Amino acid sequence: MTTAMPLPDSDDFRSAALPADPASRVVKLEPFNRSEALSLGVELELQLVNTHDYDLAPYAEDMLRLMAQTPLPGSVVPEMTSSMIEISTDICHSAQDVITQLSPIREALIRNADKLNIAVVGGGTHAFQQWHERRIYDKPRFRELSELYGYLSKQFTIFGQHVHIGCPDADSALLMLHRMSRYIPHFIALSASSPFVQGQDTQFDSARLNSVFAFPLSGRAPFTLSWKEFEAYFERMTRTGVVRSMKDFYWDIRPKPEFGTIEIRVFDTPLTVERAAALAGYVQSLAAWFLQEQPFEPTEDDYLVYTYNRFQACRFGLDAVYVDPASGQHMPLRDHILMTMTQLEWHSEALNATQALGELRTSVEANRNDARWLREKQGKERLLAEVVRQAALRFRGGGA
Amino acid sequence: MNLTNLINDLLGFWSEWLRPSAGLPTVLWSLLLAAAAASGHLVQRYLGLPKVVGYSMVGAVAGLAGFEGAIWPLRGISLFLLELGAAVVLFEAGGRLPLRWFRHNPMVLVQSLLEATLTYFGVFWMLQLLGLPDPVANPIALMAIVASPAVLSRVIIDTRASGPVTERAMTLATLNTFYALTLGYAQAGLIERAPQTLLQKLYPVAVVLGLSFVVGAILALALRTALRFMSPTSENTSILLLALIAAASALTAHVGGSAPLAALIGGVLLKTLNPKPWAWQRQLGTASSLLTMLMFVLVSIVAAQADWTLPVASVVLAVIGIRLFAKIAGVAIANPGSGASWNQAFWVGCAMSPLSSIALLIASNFTTASPLLGTMITQVALPSILLMEVMGAVLATVAIHAVGESSVPWTPQAFSTTEDTQR
Repeated sequence: MTTAMPLPDSDDFRSAALPADPASRVVKLEPFNRSEALSLGVELELQLVNTHDYDLAPYAEDMLRLMAQTPLPGSVVPEMTSSMIEISTDICHSAQDVITQLSPIREALIRNADKLNIAVVGGGTHAFQQWHERRIYDKPRFRELSELYGYLSKQFTIFGQHVHIGCPDADSALLMLHRMSRYIPHFIALSASSPFVQGQDTQFDSARLNSVFAFPLSGRAPFTLSWKEFEAYFERMTRTGVVRSMKDFYWDIRPKPEFGTIEIRVFDTPLTVERAAALAGYVQSLAAWFLQEQPFEPTEDDYLVYTYNRFQACRFGLDAVYVDPASGQHMPLRDHILMTMTQLEWHSEALNATQALGELRTSVEANRNDARWLREKQGKERLLAEVVRQAALRFRGGGA
Repeated sequence: MNLTNLINDLLGFWSEWLRPSAGLPTVLWSLLLAAAAASGHLVQRYLGLPKVVGYSMVGAVAGLAGFEGAIWPLRGISLFLLELGAAVVLFEAGGRLPLRWFRHNPMVLVQSLLEATLTYFGVFWMLQLLGLPDPVANPIALMAIVASPAVLSRVIIDTRASGPVTERAMTLATLNTFYALTLGYAQAGLIERAPQTLLQKLYPVAVVLGLSFVVGAILALALRTALRFMSPTSENTSILLLALIAAASALTAHVGGSAPLAALIGGVLLKTLNPKPWAWQRQLGTASSLLTMLMFVLVSIVAAQADWTLPVASVVLAVIGIRLFAKIAGVAIANPGSGASWNQAFWVGCAMSPLSSIALLIASNFTTASPLLGTMITQVALPSILLMEVMGAVLATVAIHAVGESSVPWTPQAFSTTEDTQR
């Protein structure tokens, strides 16, 4: 599944194929399944590049064929275009667990990439790929989405990390979702790794999220803390014929009733799996803080500054300004991230995420994220292909 | 009055009229290249075929009409231009030869060795069966090993292809060019001698390889030094690269090595010394295209000078058939464990069918070394090269489209429903 793309389950998703009577279009939302509170799941969308000029290379099918021969945790699946794959973990219980699962997957990816003479790279965008050169992965659903969205589907060759966090019940999931919304800028700034698009420095730390805006039903989930009300909203939306499943919503955070989780979708794929695991640890610590201390009640007014904060984080990364939704106070986002990390210390200890948060804290204190690393490399090399090569080395565990 | 006399009369008239200018050959070559450029464009636009087919057709028509711009066996400026064109292509191909890939996936190297060996022995056996003597069968079999990286790279550019089959075909084509050049240039020197011992047979191989390696290493070191202070994206770096390859080509030919082989080795060494992605291809652009177009026209002019008879055609078709079969079989037999599917292996074999300048250079070397045997070699070699420059390009295009590695649909541009917008 792409970062924020609605992927309808049924084939007849276009309005022309919908039943004429709005009442007959209504789909009931599936029940919110049980999951262990604070359980984790991580998905990473990754780039496949050739080792000659380091442009994206259409090797997804070959990679999937080779990966299927190795028993691994989680799964590896195709993505919208043939130069992307998505890896995911099984259910994890800590950041340590995440890295324990992601490491063998990474090793297998590297081994198979070497066999195919390609490289695997993290990052939210490929620095210089041309969207029109991308090919849609040969799968009926991707072909139909491509027909519906035209060039947007190829422009959606962007790479994100999704973090699922288990919630005790449906109402708790919505409470968790709206509390998490205050920390969307934190997630964006910490994971930002997409400063370059189509060979240009966008001046954004995370330009990837700008591509998501082009799609309908992006942004934030409607404010309700009651699953019953959410079900009613979902049914009203399906009556319009615009929505047929939860997958059609590509909000920054959305409930995932079949897993019993909420899914946070604003992260750029980091350049290393270690940072991906650390970010998952940060989300889990926040969730633990919410569940155990109930630190604040989310309100509709939180969303007054939501889009502004989100923009600031995308544009300036750790140098962004953060407007506190409750007090309206302006402060450096970096300071607010460090403040939350201090608040989370006890919870991160209990979740065995101290090291993960420590690594994130060190990078924030040094004012460094992956976007900065990419810009520094480009400043030195003056050749984006070389930046991608070094990013590929970094994904392998090498590179500075 | 036959056509040749008419042309000679016309040329005589024009040569008088054009005396003060740069000379008639320059005018004719310029017009020929202009016709080739237009033909390449039209062939792609209205027939959906690779541009190289258009270039070859113009060259073939000129050759059949008796154009004397290139004399067989090649010598002088035409030989140098052909070697330079091949050297530029092979330098780039050498830079794309991923040595570390063979460490991680030795089966690719096995595929290469197997398809080259099967091709050599398959063609050699077929020619023996058809009654050709060994000294003739051997050069033709060596020539058959080559899968033209020049044609393949032009097809890749035309189809905007990328993917596993494209990359593997290009790698295998570069490797078999390396084998054929080394053995071909070395054995050409032995054609009229009869080496008895293994040492006597290996000595010329070592000389060709050694000399080419030395020139290639000097070229790589010079470029590595230039890249320390010149930007790889600079136009001047591209010009420097082109000029140094030209100098290296002239030097290698002079000292007795192989100019294309030296360039190939230079590309490999430079990539090893400087693993950063190369960025000068875009700057080389039109200059490189002109040089390769000139090469294709030259090859087909020369190749069209062959005598076309029914017995020759039968031998040529037999050689082409066994060569294609051997290449597909070689790649397929070593396919398990190589990371490719059976379907991909089949199309890699097909994509390696083109023959062009390298084969012509090898044939030219043998013909120069032994004019007597050269006539028999030429009889089979030239028609095979001409046929497989055109048919090979088409087959490579079919292969790339069959595995879905082209970024453009295979419909003539003029009738395509998707518009390729240009700024």
